Amino acid sequence: MCGLHVVNIACAIHLCTEFVWRVSPMEGPSMIPTLGVSGEYVLENRFTPRFFPDRIKRGDLVVLKSPIMPERIVCKRILGLPGDIVCVDPTGEYAPSTEHVVVPRGHMWISGDNAPLSRDSRVYGPVSMSLIESKLLLRIYPNFTIFKNPLTYID
Amino acid sequence: MLRSIFAKTTPRSNQPKLIRKCLYWSPLPLFCLLHFYEINTVRGGSMKPTLSPDSSAWNDICLFDRYSIHTLHDYNREDIVTLRCPTNPKRIIIKRILAVAGDTVKTRPPCPEPEVKVPRGHVWVEGDESFRSDDSNLYGPIPAALIESKLTRILWPPERYGPLIEPSIPINCTGPAYRHANDAIQRAKARRARVKIGRPYNVDADTY
Repeated sequence: MCGLHVVNIACAIHLCTEFVWRVSPMEGPSMIPTLGVSGEYVLENRFTPRFFPDRIKRGDLVVLKSPIMPERIVCKRILGLPGDIVCVDPTGEYAPSTEHVVVPRGHMWISGDNAPLSRDSRVYGPVSMSLIESKLLLRIYPNFTIFKNPLTYID
Repeated sequence: MLRSIFAKTTPRSNQPKLIRKCLYWSPLPLFCLLHFYEINTVRGGSMKPTLSPDSSAWNDICLFDRYSIHTLHDYNREDIVTLRCPTNPKRIIIKRILAVAGDTVKTRPPCPEPEVKVPRGHVWVEGDESFRSDDSNLYGPIPAALIESKLTRILWPPERYGPLIEPSIPINCTGPAYRHANDAIQRAKARRARVKIGRPYNVDADTY
């Protein structure tokens, strides 16, 4: 019976990390300089994006399931929300720099901070907002940082 | 055992204790619902007449397998799956997978192109009757990451209990039952004729 209590508490902790908050390691070059290549731990908010998807804003760092590799999870920054007109690739690498698209309903435009080493909406187009898993709140280790929304509007 | 629980609940003073106990033990069943199996009612008509047909008085209650989708990533053509609606994160829809990545599908009307090749990591899903359902013909190919669970069997109503099997005409059957079975066979045939099975994409191990 004691074992069952332990399993029950383990399940409770798991549900918390699944639906409320979670500390997780980050890997990969696509978000340099915001996030390093390896060995960084961040705190994710898994509650708001799942239950209040309308509170997602441009400039937020989100963790989402990759639309081209279902078993993989990626971290990107949101550039465009439904209805926005986005330039596909200002550098003209993946598409002519004059090409613009309208982000469709329920979708968003995502991009890595390190453009040359990131595969994002430039490659696969706007992605569904249902793919979002969580939003990054802060980096815990090595340098404690709160991720602020860097977005500025130009009038 | 049952009687002892009942005996405990009857006096009013003990009711909060039972509620607290239920709350305390709730993580275990919730964990199982989240990662293994889930029971759900199929509302809405997009899978008619395979699920919740008009002839049935009830909405079908079905058993859905989450383990083989989330952990094993095991889904295939002809599976009935639930997925998060690509345009509305709060909605869950139920559809049949027609084609997986690499296949070519002949589309139906709302889709602008006559033929679509399903891109990497995506699936093509449709309802069983085109006029009832908003599916890939409207949204385009859907990321496989949106799939939540796979239907394994119908639990209710009792006369249709069991796993979904390949449609066939039962022996010595006439009248409406024959017509329904025949229609199911024709639909399955038409569905498969629209899909050209292709080679799956190479999975490369890059880490962007």
